[in-house]
Parts: sequence; C-alpha cells; structure tokens
Amino acid sequence: MGRFVFRGAERNVWTFRLDDVSERLKPLVGAEFQSMPASALITFALNMLSGLAALLTSYYAYKVNRLVDNSVLRAISIGFMLLGVGLVVDAGTSLVSGKVLVESFAERVLILLVSFTYLTVQMVAYLVIALGYVRAAYGRQAGTLAPLALAGSAALGLYRFSLLSYFVALVLLAFVVFQGVLLHQREKSRFSAIVLLGFSLIFAAHLVLLVSVLTLGTGLYLVGTAVQFLGFLSLLAFVVRSEVVGPG
Amino acid sequence: MAQGEKQRSVLRINLDILNAVSDEGDAKPTHILYRANLSHERLVRYLDDLTGKGLIEMKQDGENRTYSMTPKGVSFLIEMRRAESFVQGFGLAI
Repeated sequence: MGRFVFRGAERNVWTFRLDDVSERLKPLVGAEFQSMPASALITFALNMLSGLAALLTSYYAYKVNRLVDNSVLRAISIGFMLLGVGLVVDAGTSLVSGKVLVESFAERVLILLVSFTYLTVQMVAYLVIALGYVRAAYGRQAGTLAPLALAGSAALGLYRFSLLSYFVALVLLAFVVFQGVLLHQREKSRFSAIVLLGFSLIFAAHLVLLVSVLTLGTGLYLVGTAVQFLGFLSLLAFVVRSEVVGPG
Repeated sequence: MAQGEKQRSVLRINLDILNAVSDEGDAKPTHILYRANLSHERLVRYLDDLTGKGLIEMKQDGENRTYSMTPKGVSFLIEMRRAESFVQGFGLAI
C-alpha cells in the first residue's frame, strides 16, 4: 500500500510512492526543521515575486491579445496566469508548512492538497504554453496529441507525482526553449533574446528542482527556486521594456 | 511556410498604412500605396476604413489629396508598436 511522504516542509514536495521511506526521512526532518524559518522565508519571497512577475506577463499578454488576437498569445496569457496563481499559492504554503510540519493532521492534508494542486497547475500551465507554440508551428491537429500524451504519462507516473510533474514540466519547457531558439534565429531581436533567456532559466531551474526531488537536497531546492525567480525576472524585464520603450 | 510568403493580416496592412502616413506627415496616396504594397482598389478601401474609424484624416487641396494622422491614430499606432514588440519577443508576428 502506498502512502504520501512529506519531504521537508520548506520544499513543499509531497511524493506518493509505493515503497515506504518515511523511516529513512525521520532524521532529515529533524535536521531540516532547525533551518526551516529562513529557508521557508526565502522560498516564500522568491516564489511570491516569481508569481507576481508571471501574473504581470499574463496581464500584458492578455492586453496585447485584445489588440492582435493571436492564439499563441492567448496560450501564453492563460499559461502564465496559471503559473502566477500557482506560485503565489505555493509561496503561502511554504510559510505555513514551515510551522506546521508535525503539528496538525488537518494542516498536513491541506498542505498536501495545495502542493498537489500547484504541481498539477504548473504542468497544465507549461502544457498550455507549449501547445500554443505547437499549434503555431505544426498546426491544430498536432496540438490535440499533447494532452493525450500528458494524460498517458500522468496515469503511468501517478505513484511519484512530484517527480513526474517536474519531469513533464522539464520536457515541455525544453520544447518551448527549442522553439524559442528557432524563432530567435529567425527574428534576431533583443526582445526575443530576453524571452529566450527567461524560458532557458526556468528550464534550468526545473532541472535543478528535479535533481533536488531525487536527492532530497534542500540547498538544491533553494537554488532551483532562485534560478526560477531569475527566469521570471527576465520575462518581467522584457514586459516592462516592451511596454515602456516599445520597439527598437 | 516562410513568414514572407504568408498572407498579411488585415491588422498588418492597416499598420503598414498607418506607419506610412505617420512617417510621411501629409502622405499622398501613391506614397502610401508604394509603402503598403497594395493595389489602388484595396488601398482606397483601407483608407476609407481608417478614415471612418478616425485614425487618419483626408485633406483635399484642389486635385491633391493627402492623409495625415489624427491624435486617435497616433495613440493607436504607439499602442500597436508596443504590442508588436511584445509579440516579437515571443517570436510571433502581427
């Protein structure tokens, strides 16, 4: 019988797996609890700022889409809105989870549900953004295959949800970065370079986050969150620059 | 299909016309026609549409006819240029 195992409150990573590793984690929980407030605060700040940057990107994509009516922009707007909401909610959870690790079963369940929802929302968000690019590059029919592929992989990987979600996000981001490189080579504009940098940093962050889930590395998780923040900061710089300066 | 081979959207054509009018100041139809790469018949249709929306205005001086931007047209063009830079950032085109 499988069970959910909490892997360090400041990391908000709940993993559902068949083997019972809770005994192996007991010493870790005690050690991590000591450093929890500082790391939880850093995670909170980075995720909150990343979330706000994502929401701002979503808002400008929505605003521009009202003028130009483009399906990729619609996907970017929806995707970043989901990411923004997910990151802000996750930021709140990182603060709460820093305090209630072993105190209340109800709070544990709440954190579990929020973490599960955040990871799902994150996957859907990157899927929506990637789908936008798929449809733009290969047509509408190719876009319908991606949800089926995700549903299949989700069914297969449910027993290790956090691992799966980071992996799926990584694959989707790799596709978005690949498309970004192709598009940047065609356009060669400073704006597309900033966006490419942003997506590349978010991709690198998910690589680090995936490794941190695999190795239970708290430090790695913080590094991943920080790199992710830099990615969203790049996108924010692009949004502000395109809004204030315009082309050129 | 390469981007250059794609059919221009109505918005793209309107933007090309507004850019031509904005750059010329008082733009003659032949200059706009050349810059926007349109047939005369289509150009007249687009100019009438933009005039009707209050984005450009026509000035008639005897035989000469010129078009210039209205304040509403200038605001719209600034907004569209911002939108264009945002769209280009994600590798897209209007």
